[in-house]
Amino acid sequence: MRYYIGAEARLRRRIEDAAMSVFETWSYEEVITPSVDYYDLFEQGMGQTEAQRGFRFTDNDGRLLALRPDVTSSVARIAATLLVDRPRPLRFCYAAPVFRQQPQSHAEWRRENTQLGCELIGVGGKPADLEVLRLAAEILRRLDLGSSYCLTINNVEIFNGLAAELDLDTPAREQLRRLIDTRETAELHRFVREFRPHDGRAFAQLAQLTGKRDVLQAARDVIQNARSLAALNALEELWTEIESLGLENEFEIDLGDVPSLDYYTGLTLKVFVHGAGANVGRGGRYDGLTGNFGRAEPAVGFVLNLDALTEVVGRRMAQQS
Amino acid sequence: MITIAIAKGRMQDDALALLARAGIRLREEEVNSRRLALTDETGDYRFLFVKPGDVPVYVEHGIADCGLVGRDVLLESEADLLLPLDLGIARCRIVVAAADPEVMTRGAGMLRVATKYSQIAAAHFGARGMPVEIIKLSGSVELAPALGLADLIVDLVQSGRTLRENGLTVVDEITESTGRLVVNRASYQLKAQAVGQFVSALRLALNGGEAA
Repeated sequence: MRYYIGAEARLRRRIEDAAMSVFETWSYEEVITPSVDYYDLFEQGMGQTEAQRGFRFTDNDGRLLALRPDVTSSVARIAATLLVDRPRPLRFCYAAPVFRQQPQSHAEWRRENTQLGCELIGVGGKPADLEVLRLAAEILRRLDLGSSYCLTINNVEIFNGLAAELDLDTPAREQLRRLIDTRETAELHRFVREFRPHDGRAFAQLAQLTGKRDVLQAARDVIQNARSLAALNALEELWTEIESLGLENEFEIDLGDVPSLDYYTGLTLKVFVHGAGANVGRGGRYDGLTGNFGRAEPAVGFVLNLDALTEVVGRRMAQQS
Repeated sequence: MITIAIAKGRMQDDALALLARAGIRLREEEVNSRRLALTDETGDYRFLFVKPGDVPVYVEHGIADCGLVGRDVLLESEADLLLPLDLGIARCRIVVAAADPEVMTRGAGMLRVATKYSQIAAAHFGARGMPVEIIKLSGSVELAPALGLADLIVDLVQSGRTLRENGLTVVDEITESTGRLVVNRASYQLKAQAVGQFVSALRLALNGGEAA
C-alpha cells in the first residue's frame, strides 16, 4: 500500500504520460479493462499458478471473481471475441493497476502496482518483436535514466528445444529451467552430465552467458538441435536489427533468462534499471494465449512497473539535485 | 565498486580465507574492529557483515550486489536470487534428530518439531505427509527434546558432537548445505563486468588457480 502525494504524484503522472504518449505515436490505442472479472478469465489467460496469486472472492450468487492480476488476459479475450472481425494487427496499450498476493521476488512485493503495457496482436515474426523492443527502449530513453538501464532479451524456444532434445518429463524440465534461471552452473553441469558426457561443462556455462552477439556463437558451439538453432537464428536476426538501429548499448542477450511463465512462446524481455533490485518490466511473445479464448494468433507485448519506475526516477532526481 | 554481503558467524572465516585466495584482502585490524561495512585493499569491493538470514534480504533488494551465505539460509528464505557458485565452504548437513529414534515410527499422534528452519522442516514433513507441529526457535535447538518442548529437531550438523552431547541421534538427513555465492538479478545485468570479475576470481580460487 502506497500513497503518492504532491510532487511524487506529479512525477508518477509524468512517467505514465511519457509512456502513454510513446504508445500513442506508435498508433497503440488505449484500452481500459474491468478491475473485477470472473476468475476463470485470468486462469485461462495466465495459467493457474499465476492466476492464483490474484485476490479472489465470490459475489452473492457464489460466482468466483478476481481483482485483475494482469491486463493481458482481458485484452487477449476481447481480441478473440469482441474484436474478432477487426482487421489485424491490433495495437493496444494501457496504464492500469493490477493486484497480486504473492511475490515472485520479495523486492517487488506490492499488493497493487500499476502496469504500463502494450499488446501487439495478429502479427508475428521479427518486425513485430522489433516493434515492441523499440517501444520499450524509447519509453526508457524518455525517462532521463541516462545509461543506467538495460533490456535483456532471450528466446524460450532455445530452452524448449533443449528440453525436447533431452526428452525430459515435466518435473525434470522444471528442474532444468530453475537451474538455468538461477545460474547454478555446478548443479547444472551435474544435471546434464548424464545426457551430454562430452560437453556438459560448456553447456552449463551457457546459463551464465549474457552479452552481445558473441553469446550467440558460443551457444551454437554447444547446441545442435534444430528447434533451438532456429530460435538462435531468430534472436540473431533481431540482434542485427538492434545493431542497425544503434540500440546495441541498451540491449543484452541473456541466455540464462528462462522465466517461469509457461505462456511465452518465443522472444522474452526483461528491463533492469540501476537502483531497482528486481526487474522493472518484462514481456515477450505469447502466441498460445489468444487460442485459449477461441482464436489462436500471434501476440507480443510487455509491461513496465510504474511504481518501481517512479521510485527509481525519483531517487535519481533527488541525488542529482 | 560492488557491494558484497557476508554472513557473520559460522561461515565468516572460511569466506574471508576464500576471498584472500581470490586475491581480495581486507585489513586484519578492520575485520577485527566492530565496523560492519569495510572496503578491501584495492577499493573494488565493499563488504557488509550481516546476520546470515539477512544476506538474502540485502542481495534481493539490490543493496548488496552479491552475498556469501549458506544454502540452509537460502532454502529457508525462498529469495529470488542467482546462485552461480557453490563455494564448498562450511559444509554441513540439515538433519532430523531425536532423543528417541523410534519416535518417528511409533505413530504416537502429532509430533512436535523444534527448529530454526521452519520452512525447510515444513516442506520436509509435508512432502512425506507427516502431520507435525513446528515450534520455531532461534538457537540452542538441541535442548528442546531433553526439556520436553519437542519430539524432534531439524538442525544443522557439522561434526555431530553437539547432538551427541545432548543425547540426540540423527534419524533422517534432509539435505546438505554449503556456502554459496548469490547475486542480485539486476546487478548481474547492470554491473555485469564487475560482478563477472568477482565470480571469475572466486571460481579460479575454488579450482586452485585453474580456470573452469
